[in-house]
Amino acid sequence: MLATLLSATLIALDGRVIRVEVDVAPGLPGFTIVGLADVGIREARERVRGALRNAGFVHPPRRITVNLAPADLPKTGTSADLAIAIGILVGSEQFTPRAGRAALIGELSLGGEVRSVPGLLPMVLALARRGVGRVVVPADGADEARLVPGVEILSVGSIPEAVDALRARRRASPRPPDRVELATPGQLDAPDDGAPSIVPLPPDTPDLADVRGQAEARRALEIALAGGHGLLLIGPPGTGKTMLARTIPGLQPPLEEEEAVTATIVASVSAEGPIRGLVRRAPFRAPHHTSSYAAMVGGGPALAPGEVTRADHGVLFLDELAEFSRDVLEALRQPLEDGRITIVRARGAVTLPARFQLIAAMNPCPCGHAGGEGGACICGQGVPERYVGRISGPLRDRIDLWVGMPRVPSRAMLLGHEPEPSSAVAARIATARVRQLARPGRTLNARISGRMLRATARLSPADQAKLVALSELEQLSGRGTERLLRVALTIADLENADAVIAPHLEEAARWRVPSARPLLALAV
Amino acid sequence: MLGVGTGPEGSVATRATPAALPLGREDRDALAVLVSVQGLGPMTLDRLLERVGSPAEALSIAGAAGGADALIEATLDAESTWRSMPRAVADAIVAAAGRRSEILDGIGRLDLRILALGDPEYPARLAAIEIPPAALFVRGSATALTATTSVAVVGTRRPTEPGRRIASRIGASLARAGALVVSGLAVGIDGAAHAAVIAEQGPTVAFIGSGHGRLFPAVHDRLADAIVDAGGAIVSEYAPETEATKGTFPRRNRLISGAADAVIVVEAGAKSGALLTASWALEQGRECFVVPGSIDAPMSAGCLGFLRDWPGLVRVVAGVPQLLEDLGLAGAAAFPRPTVLTTPTSRVRPAAPEAILAAAVAGDREVAAALLAGAVIVDELVAVTGLAVGTVLGALTRLEAAGFVSGSHGRYRLEGALAARPPEGRGMPSERVPPAA
Repeated sequence: MLATLLSATLIALDGRVIRVEVDVAPGLPGFTIVGLADVGIREARERVRGALRNAGFVHPPRRITVNLAPADLPKTGTSADLAIAIGILVGSEQFTPRAGRAALIGELSLGGEVRSVPGLLPMVLALARRGVGRVVVPADGADEARLVPGVEILSVGSIPEAVDALRARRRASPRPPDRVELATPGQLDAPDDGAPSIVPLPPDTPDLADVRGQAEARRALEIALAGGHGLLLIGPPGTGKTMLARTIPGLQPPLEEEEAVTATIVASVSAEGPIRGLVRRAPFRAPHHTSSYAAMVGGGPALAPGEVTRADHGVLFLDELAEFSRDVLEALRQPLEDGRITIVRARGAVTLPARFQLIAAMNPCPCGHAGGEGGACICGQGVPERYVGRISGPLRDRIDLWVGMPRVPSRAMLLGHEPEPSSAVAARIATARVRQLARPGRTLNARISGRMLRATARLSPADQAKLVALSELEQLSGRGTERLLRVALTIADLENADAVIAPHLEEAARWRVPSARPLLALAV
Repeated sequence: MLGVGTGPEGSVATRATPAALPLGREDRDALAVLVSVQGLGPMTLDRLLERVGSPAEALSIAGAAGGADALIEATLDAESTWRSMPRAVADAIVAAAGRRSEILDGIGRLDLRILALGDPEYPARLAAIEIPPAALFVRGSATALTATTSVAVVGTRRPTEPGRRIASRIGASLARAGALVVSGLAVGIDGAAHAAVIAEQGPTVAFIGSGHGRLFPAVHDRLADAIVDAGGAIVSEYAPETEATKGTFPRRNRLISGAADAVIVVEAGAKSGALLTASWALEQGRECFVVPGSIDAPMSAGCLGFLRDWPGLVRVVAGVPQLLEDLGLAGAAAFPRPTVLTTPTSRVRPAAPEAILAAAVAGDREVAAALLAGAVIVDELVAVTGLAVGTVLGALTRLEAAGFVSGSHGRYRLEGALAARPPEGRGMPSERVPPAA
């Protein structure tokens, strides 16, 4: 008998509905799966066989053919396991389901338990778009699936539970055969916290109060996070670049509703652990500088999202920027320009969101000590300039704040005031963001259009002249002048000021691209 | 002596006389072309001019048919053949003779003056050294080098911040005392000394280790412009298109010491090239001073080592007023300052007088005072002034725009008139008005 069920698979961040057709026919016993299934799905044969038997059902000794439609859509992953198993039960008439459309998503264990799969949220979303009213999902993914409104979620932990949920008339399931359990199911991926809707701060996030010194860089970080500006920290090893960057998760404002949906889908597809509600914590991704091209932009057979997508609406922190391979840095061009990344494969292209804020750190030269006092740097003349020059044009253009981090002598650390805690800085950042998002256009200053920027800055004629004087002084291009004004606007937003005035411009002028020689100084 | 190169025995005695006379325009141009020839050293050039009579004659021989053979013939030694010029050099002279107008155009484009040995403007101090350059290419004032007193200030390219300040103070004090400051345009101590003199609107001369068309270090192009605008000069013994190489700098160093009455080494590492200049100074009979430092400071190791190696010959800078007194310049500061010879071009900002600072907003003055007191990074400025970070940063931009401050890699230093200001309130004698002699 032929049974047809619905399930879903994943293409990059998109769920796709698939129809699972199971034909249990007389003939030599066999089990075939057709329909552009990848290895993960073809292995479903073994999982389904074991799961049915160990759940107390019969794997019928008949000719079983499974077709996954549409046949031209490549299918990946293990999300169709449950649908195939239930299809076999229905096809071999081991139970009769009640009428009505239902979809099943879940991976099977050999013991017949139903396990969660990555990308549950986008798959349920896709089913909902197609008008499916009931979806059977793994119990540990139920919270995630319930984020989709208007769909009845049937949460099941095993095949018998799934059968009960779908069965027309209540009847006791067959008794499962004996088993020996040395690993309690679910032990490995038990939810580790009860926090309902916000992914907790990474446990190793330092507080800004723990960072002593580096007043200039702290200020730059605050401005960058408030306006979504690109930031590059340049300084010798041990000056606290990485430490400062690691405080970012404690400073980022929570995501807006719409951003949170995307973030949750990305988290779901990336299998970052159980999802109990919308992910409100802005992402902070810090890939190592040896990361491959595919890890950065995304790819692989299942078109898994890369770091740029996982950092969507958050921060992508690149430590040791100059050490990243050229290909990887070049790949950042498109996302930095359009906020999207397109992955092209022989079968077609997918476009993923990648609206991240770039924050990077690097040494000033290969030996790391340029700009220090005396003979600290052992690099030849011009070597530090060439090292910083490795940052290519498109990347440069997206970095609004360039910060030199000097070595802070211990006497200066002792002199300084008690550093501000993250909570105080985060509050100012959040307020500044609210100001920006309340304006028409609803964008952060980093991505505001040139026309909007000038309209919002509301420079007085005297301050306009100041801007011209500063850009002449620093020999800024048109783009450089705009960048200066952009940063000045964020400084004004941090002060709750309604117009950009000279002191804002003068402070913003400090964050320019470093030149080979100090500005205006005759002698180096 | 001193392990630095000296010419072969008797080279001074056999110096050609024709070059000692003022040259006509034709000969001067021809000399410039000959100096441009790669591989033609001063000894061979001397012998060639001695045999053929004049630079113009040498070029006309080169330009004629069989020129290379004639040139080799002309430099053939009377007794043996091994001292004649190599064929490659002879060929190069022939080639240069063919490019004569091109070479001279290049010199003209750079607005260079050619000073030949024997010209009245040729600096007398340099004419007296061993193997003086046959020609000097001068950009700027050719008469700057004729100053009554000339002092070289040299040192490491990687100075400490206090070392840089000392170089600035010495440079500015010498300028105020009316002395010409000579140095090498290098980054570090040399640049600080030049810049301090310019802030005093005084003349300074830089001897460079490359041709004028290949200025090294390139980052000092603006400094070079400022030197010329302030009435000083950039001088090279190399033809304009000569690239700086490892060998050109030691050879140039003998000119820095030769053009000065005294050489002052501010900071030098153990292997610093500034010590080479100091060695030349001793060999050429110039006064030699070093600024002493801690025995633990790497950038004082060279100074102290030199002092130890040449006891009795090398003197110590005990303070800026003491230095002026030792140089016989004390009291001279009462004389009116030298006036600016040319008006500054728009490319160079005039050095800001301190009066501008007095008129600045209060926060700016506090930040400047903190920098004078030794603060270097923003953390220190914030701690000392008690101002908000944003305010300090804005003040730094305004001070930078006024020419008082420069910053890189998060470190800030004083520039212009403020760079030469001595630390205050430590019971040090004032450097503004040196005691009358």
